[in-house]
Amino acid sequence: MTTTADTLIAAIDITDNQTVAVTLEGKNILICKANGDYYAVDNQCTHQRAELTGGRIRNCYLACPLHGVRFDLRTGMPKGELTRVPLKTYPVSVAEDGNLHLELD
Amino acid sequence: MSELIKVKQQGEERCEGVSYQDLLNDEKIDVPAYLREDTNPYMGDDDISVDRWISRDFHDQEKEKLWPKVWQMTCREEDIPEIGDHHIYEIVDQSIIVTRTGENEFKGFINSCLHRGRILRDNDGHADEFVCPFHGATWDINGNFKGIPCKWDFSHLDEKDMNLPQVKIGTWGGFIFINFDANCIPLDDYLSPLPEHFSRFPLHDYYKGAHVQRVVQCNWKVGAEAFMESFHTLETHSEILTFTGDANSQYDTFGDHVSRSVTPMGIPSPHLPDVTEAETMRDILELSGRMATDSAEGHEMPEGLTARTYVAETNREMFSDIIGEPLDHATKSELEDAILYMLFPNTQVWTGYHGNIVYRFLPNGDDHNSCIFETMILLRYEKGTKRPDPAEKNILRPDQAFSEAPEIGGLGPVFDQDDSNMAAVQKGMIASRKGAVSLASYQESRIRHLHQTIDKYLNA
Repeated sequence: MTTTADTLIAAIDITDNQTVAVTLEGKNILICKANGDYYAVDNQCTHQRAELTGGRIRNCYLACPLHGVRFDLRTGMPKGELTRVPLKTYPVSVAEDGNLHLELD
Repeated sequence: MSELIKVKQQGEERCEGVSYQDLLNDEKIDVPAYLREDTNPYMGDDDISVDRWISRDFHDQEKEKLWPKVWQMTCREEDIPEIGDHHIYEIVDQSIIVTRTGENEFKGFINSCLHRGRILRDNDGHADEFVCPFHGATWDINGNFKGIPCKWDFSHLDEKDMNLPQVKIGTWGGFIFINFDANCIPLDDYLSPLPEHFSRFPLHDYYKGAHVQRVVQCNWKVGAEAFMESFHTLETHSEILTFTGDANSQYDTFGDHVSRSVTPMGIPSPHLPDVTEAETMRDILELSGRMATDSAEGHEMPEGLTARTYVAETNREMFSDIIGEPLDHATKSELEDAILYMLFPNTQVWTGYHGNIVYRFLPNGDDHNSCIFETMILLRYEKGTKRPDPAEKNILRPDQAFSEAPEIGGLGPVFDQDDSNMAAVQKGMIASRKGAVSLASYQESRIRHLHQTIDKYLNA
């Protein structure tokens, strides 16, 4: 079953610095909250393909739990030498009913 | 007159201006003993060869005999606040994973996989365990070996110690120090008398409000020395002379590892005869970058007060408001003077109640002609409130000016003036036909002290 993007999850259910993995149209996507804002990225590190679920978030940066690559949640850009490939990001907004709305390609 | 007495007199020459100890006599508050220390044993006046700043050989000696033996500051405890957080500390060609392993416990691991040698962690961050990105050999955050894929192929490792090698580690003032030498002297002994002198400034309770880093094209010691004497103020920072006691600064050495300069502020330089109290007050507020306010607007010198007293009292009031506790016990000197300690070999810390500057000079990897210059500003926060998160390090590009880092305020333009000398000193030393530098007996004595201690390590 495919979950529709705009009834996915209530914004209020995610706390700051938390990650929530969802499957949307067959894609494994990670929803994150940092400094009060919501972000969505591919749930797969561009370094060695580890899932990013549970990665620590600090100051808009999500760290891969396996080897520690840090990604800027705003742009997907990595920091450091382990990978130069950015993480794919998806626009997120909070709909009027309080649910998060993701725009997939 | 015997030779000995003549030598002693040479070492005791001082500027004719008011001395720092004279200024302490004007304090209305009990002066703590550490400020009354006035200790500068004469160390000689011989020229010093430029080799120790510019030669590869000297750098290699430091690599072999200095850095493996000294306690060195790696980061702040607040930089790695949670268990599993770690900072990668690199010195010359060595790499250490400085890790928080408990609420108040830290460990330092050699950052090298015991399988094929790849560095285990590439960046600062957080880990529940250290998994080598190459083949997946894994250690817990205490350095205990947890295994490697295809264990059947490694039965020959069963008898070997596969736990991560560690370095010595210790903390003071919220800083984490490491030492590669298993037989080093205890950190407390190494630091002495720093903890005692900082007892009024509990730096572990301060937070890092700014952290700026840039590569400078000079040997790390040239960088450090730019902040070890106030003699250069006259030529390099002439705009601050109206409020800076440059030539009448006091210089102290304490054992091998600690030295201090005290530069009185809120008084004009002995080089400037005709400065009014109002000018001193205006300029120190506008230009120093270290006072409670950075504008003289609305400040009028009250009749009968000196600028030194007026600015100290302004700082007392504003700092007290910021930190939420009275500073009745603080001397004027502690409220405004530049009291700067060096901890051998490369860390410098200012005293102060709010806005303590920290400098560190690291060799830039294995290059002896450049260094990494870092400035942190440690701040107090209101008592009873949550400690603010530490500032992220702002790494400036080599072509950027320090004044492009707004978080260090008035210090930026001052550093830019120092920066205009640092790379130029390195270049000039290389070009020097004299092949040596000559130091002022007193005002540059801390530089001689630094080199005498380096020699003790290299000759040990």
